[in-house]
Amino acid sequence: MVKLKINGQEVEAGRDSSILYAAKAAGITIPTLCHIKGLEPYGGCRMCLVEIEGVSRLQTACTTKVNEGMSVLTETDEINKARKAMLEFLLINHPLDCPVCDKAGECLLQDEAARYGASEGRFAEGKRVHPENLNDPFIVRNMQRCILCTRCTRMCGEGQGAYAISVTGRGAHSFVEPFSHDKYNCEYCGNCLTVCPVGAIMSRLHRHNYRPWYVEKEVETVCGFCGVGCTTYLQMRGTTIIRTQPMLGTGVNKGLLCARGRFGYDYIESESRLKTPMIRVNGVLEPVSWEKALQYIVTRLKEVKSQHPPKAIAAVASGMCSNEDNYMLQKLIRFVIGSNNIDSTARLAYAPSKTYIEKIFGAAATANVIADIEKADGVFVAGGDPTAINPVLGVQIRSAWRHGAKVVVSGQPGGLGNFINYSLNSVPHHEETVLNTIVIGLAEMKGYSGTNPYIEKKIKALRVPCEPELKATGVTLESMEEAIDDLSRLKKPVVVIGPALLQSGIPSKNLFLVAAIAYLTDARIYLLSKKPNYRGLIDMGCVPDAIAGGLPVRPGQIKLKNSVTMSVPADKGLNLFEMIEGALSGGLKALYVLGENLVFNLPDREKTEKALSSLDLLIVQDIFTNETTRHAHVVLPAAAWSEKDGTMTNLGGRIQFLRKGASDSVGRSEWRVIAEIAKALGMNETYRDSKEVWEEMTQVSVLHAASDYEDIKDGGLMWPYGSVQFQGGAEDFEVEGIGILPEVKSEPCEGPLKLYLLPERSLFHSGSTTRKSRALLSVSPEPYLSLNPEEALRLGLNDSDTVRVRTSRGSAVVTIKIIMDVPERAAILSNTFEKVNFNSLAGYSVDPVLNCMALTDNEAVIELI
Amino acid sequence: MITAAIADKNAILKDKIKELKRLYPQTRSVLLPALHAAEDLYGWLGDDALEQVSMLTGVTTAEVKGVVSFYSLFKTKPHGRHVIYLCTNIACLIMGADTLEEYLQKTYRLSNGETTADGRFSLVIMECIGACDRAPAMLVNDDWHFNLTMENIKEILESYK
Amino acid sequence: MANVLLKNIENPNSHRIDEYVKAGGYFALEHAINEMTPKDIVDDIRKSGLRGRGGAGFSTGMKWQFASLDPKFPKYIVCNADEGEPGTFKDRVLLERNPHRLIEGMVITAYALQSIRGYIYVRAEYPHVEKILNEAIKEAYDKGFLGDDIMSKHFRFNLSVHRGAGAYICGEETALINSLEGRRGEPRIKPPFPVNSGAWSKPTIVNNVETYANIPYIIETSPKAYTFLGTKDAPGTKLFCVSGAVNKPGVYELELGTPLREIIYDHCGGIRGGRALKGVIPGGLSTSILTPDKIDCPMDFANLAKRGSMLGSGAIIVLDDTMCIVKIYERAMRFFEHESCGKCTPCREGTGWMRTILSRIEKGLADMEDLATLEDVAANVAGKTFCPLGEGAAHVLLAVIKSYRGEFEYHVKYKKCEVADPSQKWEHISEGELDRLEPIV
Repeated sequence: MVKLKINGQEVEAGRDSSILYAAKAAGITIPTLCHIKGLEPYGGCRMCLVEIEGVSRLQTACTTKVNEGMSVLTETDEINKARKAMLEFLLINHPLDCPVCDKAGECLLQDEAARYGASEGRFAEGKRVHPENLNDPFIVRNMQRCILCTRCTRMCGEGQGAYAISVTGRGAHSFVEPFSHDKYNCEYCGNCLTVCPVGAIMSRLHRHNYRPWYVEKEVETVCGFCGVGCTTYLQMRGTTIIRTQPMLGTGVNKGLLCARGRFGYDYIESESRLKTPMIRVNGVLEPVSWEKALQYIVTRLKEVKSQHPPKAIAAVASGMCSNEDNYMLQKLIRFVIGSNNIDSTARLAYAPSKTYIEKIFGAAATANVIADIEKADGVFVAGGDPTAINPVLGVQIRSAWRHGAKVVVSGQPGGLGNFINYSLNSVPHHEETVLNTIVIGLAEMKGYSGTNPYIEKKIKALRVPCEPELKATGVTLESMEEAIDDLSRLKKPVVVIGPALLQSGIPSKNLFLVAAIAYLTDARIYLLSKKPNYRGLIDMGCVPDAIAGGLPVRPGQIKLKNSVTMSVPADKGLNLFEMIEGALSGGLKALYVLGENLVFNLPDREKTEKALSSLDLLIVQDIFTNETTRHAHVVLPAAAWSEKDGTMTNLGGRIQFLRKGASDSVGRSEWRVIAEIAKALGMNETYRDSKEVWEEMTQVSVLHAASDYEDIKDGGLMWPYGSVQFQGGAEDFEVEGIGILPEVKSEPCEGPLKLYLLPERSLFHSGSTTRKSRALLSVSPEPYLSLNPEEALRLGLNDSDTVRVRTSRGSAVVTIKIIMDVPERAAILSNTFEKVNFNSLAGYSVDPVLNCMALTDNEAVIELI
Repeated sequence: MITAAIADKNAILKDKIKELKRLYPQTRSVLLPALHAAEDLYGWLGDDALEQVSMLTGVTTAEVKGVVSFYSLFKTKPHGRHVIYLCTNIACLIMGADTLEEYLQKTYRLSNGETTADGRFSLVIMECIGACDRAPAMLVNDDWHFNLTMENIKEILESYK
Repeated sequence: MANVLLKNIENPNSHRIDEYVKAGGYFALEHAINEMTPKDIVDDIRKSGLRGRGGAGFSTGMKWQFASLDPKFPKYIVCNADEGEPGTFKDRVLLERNPHRLIEGMVITAYALQSIRGYIYVRAEYPHVEKILNEAIKEAYDKGFLGDDIMSKHFRFNLSVHRGAGAYICGEETALINSLEGRRGEPRIKPPFPVNSGAWSKPTIVNNVETYANIPYIIETSPKAYTFLGTKDAPGTKLFCVSGAVNKPGVYELELGTPLREIIYDHCGGIRGGRALKGVIPGGLSTSILTPDKIDCPMDFANLAKRGSMLGSGAIIVLDDTMCIVKIYERAMRFFEHESCGKCTPCREGTGWMRTILSRIEKGLADMEDLATLEDVAANVAGKTFCPLGEGAAHVLLAVIKSYRGEFEYHVKYKKCEVADPSQKWEHISEGELDRLEPIV
């Protein structure tokens, strides 16, 4: 610590502290415009000039470090004159259009000018003129208001790692702009908007209809778009979200958001929101009252229950819904109806990956703090672009790279493209060979520690790829060897596993190989999660084989505090795929689908539709009408993410509060509706609020038993939530095809070249909600098929060509987009839009080891039309 | 549309930048030499050239643009066959450079940053070019010319066809 | 005239390595590597009292010592050949005529600091110099003075040229480093200083061309011998580049402390046409103008500072009584405005504002209030900028208004210039002739 005097007051500050922070800690405010917490000091605006005893010139408080015995004055006549002069300099070119500026009221320049007094207007020359630029879908630029503090460009670079805007020009001709003058064409994280102190860059979404004083309340909540669980603040006016705004330095995101989180919230006001319950009458869904709808559900469920065993009823939980919603659904199915038939789309990749990884390494393996990625000295990524699936987690990887971490990516690098040491972008179906080579190389370099004999035995059984097998990957042996070399040296590595790892080849083998890399390098593991609460729904028991808290299903009794006992059913529950099969074979009669568009989100659409239409009763509780509600017998409007209270668990295991912004909803909170149905079917408990649901859950879940609801405040509650006994160790596990490698096929001699069709994992879309966001649709309005330039050349295709893409399951007409880093032999199709959708063109098989899905029938032919 | 000629140049640039990267401990630092090389190859640095440089250096296009526009001597628009860099800083000014500037305006209709209609000359008004002992001075392309007078400037410029 | 830096330059092939070696070149390097430890060299440079020749005049030995004490590896050696200070051309002459002297100086520095990599940052305005340097570097590699095993002593040092692209600010060392790293040439916050965290965050020595050129002399003679030249506070010789209204403009190597009068009247043959001296800018455009009564000033750091100016780069611009001060400083401010990087508020906005007022004064469109505003704006810029560029702009303006207030006021009052149009200095054409010109195209 260092002792110094500020304005005569004795102050203590850390050795590395700047005068600015030392003063702030002592309650002394020094004005700043360019400085902002979280970004490196810049020293440009010169507002924070202070006087230091013994130093002839005024010094900037933001860039000057404290010294023992230093004496600083922050408000003298000379300083005030200097600050007034700086404001005068800024105002000579800043338009005085405050009445029409959306920033008015929260503009730093306005605040400082008010504090130091307006200048006399003695600038006789003309002001710089830059007309308002409205050519970008999200961001309005008014560069004449820009004070060149460069907060935005530094945020874009240092903070987001996007480097999509830069100061161009020099001196008074400096200008902040993206590469193409008009459009940002960037990731649209909008983090530049958070930091702009004036009205130079603003969101187009609330242009001219936003004023800071319109905000009636501000609610801290967790973002509802992906598994990162960013802290965001809903600024509300009535039931309308005016803005979602992060707070710098706060939450797992430390004040960053992504395009979805910042701009996507308008789906809530979509015209296609379900506003009233509906029952199918003569094939048509007709609006009914809540009472009628619930009565209908109860009657029909009772009917099914009386005619069939409980296992004829199943439910699909939702990764978009809160822990409480999912807990309640699970309770209905498992303890009221008496069936273990509950699962979700986490089944496609997240849940089986989590189960498998935890089996290999123990329960703690997948629970990790996202912010720690930044501190890693190396990151290995497999199975999808984190900057698109979980954008703010992806930013952490970029940040690690900038701090010197080695980043190795297996698969398409996407948004990590400029932050990579080794890109191992292999031909689809041959990733396995690359991963296999890395594991063998690492084992050779690092040797075996003996910690986990199960995994070591399996690593030893791997076969060294031969040359044609290596060649078929399209990745050079040299880059694999260099990557192995770097990976072997890491001290604090991180392994990031995305859903695409399981989609082709042998899922258990791929996952085992990446686990082996984590094992050999002693890495922390992060599982990417497309939906915000996949981890939470698993913890709530929304899987067929485990109850809330993760204990395996074993017939028995669970006693609640109020001495009610609940019986765990004995039947083996059906997983999502088995539910589809069950519906087709007639064993499954009723299905309750909570916040999930099954028809849209599963490949082999035809099969799903057939299955759903074979059911006696399909209950769908959602916020939109969609492809799945089309088959429903009864539809219930749900409350959207911003319209309910509860908790969510992020991909690393952090539980955070979801707080209601809007006081009212066109739908109803899901758990309340489910509880009402459960009650009519014999449940005893009643709940006043979501806290009471949580409290019951902690009596069922050994994992949450020791947690305190109040502790979720302030940064959330981190796994294992105070429990100690629940930390299982490593077990033996199964791997398919350990000694074999993907077959090397010779190129077909005739007929068109086949590509592997793969689903896009878009930054701007994450499923049925984002396609209802007008904002997100404005940047990503339509489907496309992406190819790399070589493939396009081989097929004689150019950017924007219209083609027909055909698989054995069907065909679609779509526009070509040429993207550099698409893997060889791959064609990537959007998976967001109703008309042209990857899932309609591919099939799937169920992996016997992981019980996850592997894509099939996705070999495609592309022809120009 | 990428023509064969541009594709060839792109390939040359790729090799050149690969070679230049060896001179610096960090890839990013190759940016200035890479831009000079691109300017030599394509003649000037349009958006396409900047995109190439961005791709080959891994520096984003926005940042490449930020760097290019900071320096006053990168050619960011097409220019004439010959570029006149006329110094008008004070050592040249006091020796009559402002008269020369006027001369170029009147005789060649050339003003700063512009190109003659026939595409022969472009004019760049310079800050001090370090030829103050023989002022006024100018560069035409890479050639220096000193102690300019109205007689000799005419003669000098006429030798550039 | 002293002959330390410009030794042998009358030889038409002085830039070739053979001629340089024949004249005793690379002897100092040999001596340094064979007979001296790196620490010896740093000590000798410190003892010699050599001060940087780029403008600030910081002790070169101290700079080296700071860098040598920093344990980080590798260290970088950078030569600032971004000679952009208006009026300056001394480095150009050294680079054209004596490039090996620079290379030798840099290799000795590298040896002293155990650096393995060096860069010469050459301004884009000197395309021919880049060629000369590249040839010289190649020659030095061929002779084993550069490379992986210099003079078979297992000493490795590689050197290359980095071309700027037209930015005066890159003469500021941290801006130069940003530019070397491929960034916008904006200055960085100091501390950390480049000697601890410079290029690629490693200890970096940035010295001027002329500073490096002094190194071989100090090594081949002795620090003591070096102190015999110049003054006690400022030893050695200095390249003075004289331009403007003198009979013999050019580069003169003279001992530091040589009186300005002697330079103008003896070495440069006095004012052209026997006219009266109006003022002298003694160290490049960023140094304050001296009125004729101050020309007995010895040209060294302390004496110029005493008179409110600076030695700067040693660029002496001589003005005679026909030249308009307002016009000259309007042009000067145009320069600062053009070269301001834009990072800090007062320089970015202030230089432009000062220039617009100066333009109006020069054109006779200003009143006395404008002149007062001008001085106030300059005072608001002075002392508040991020780097010396804006600072210099404000200071030189305040100094010139102070010394030549009458001339500014004349422009304001009479809406015209007190002295004859400076274009008349250019005897080849009269104004009328210009008007009769016909377009060629």
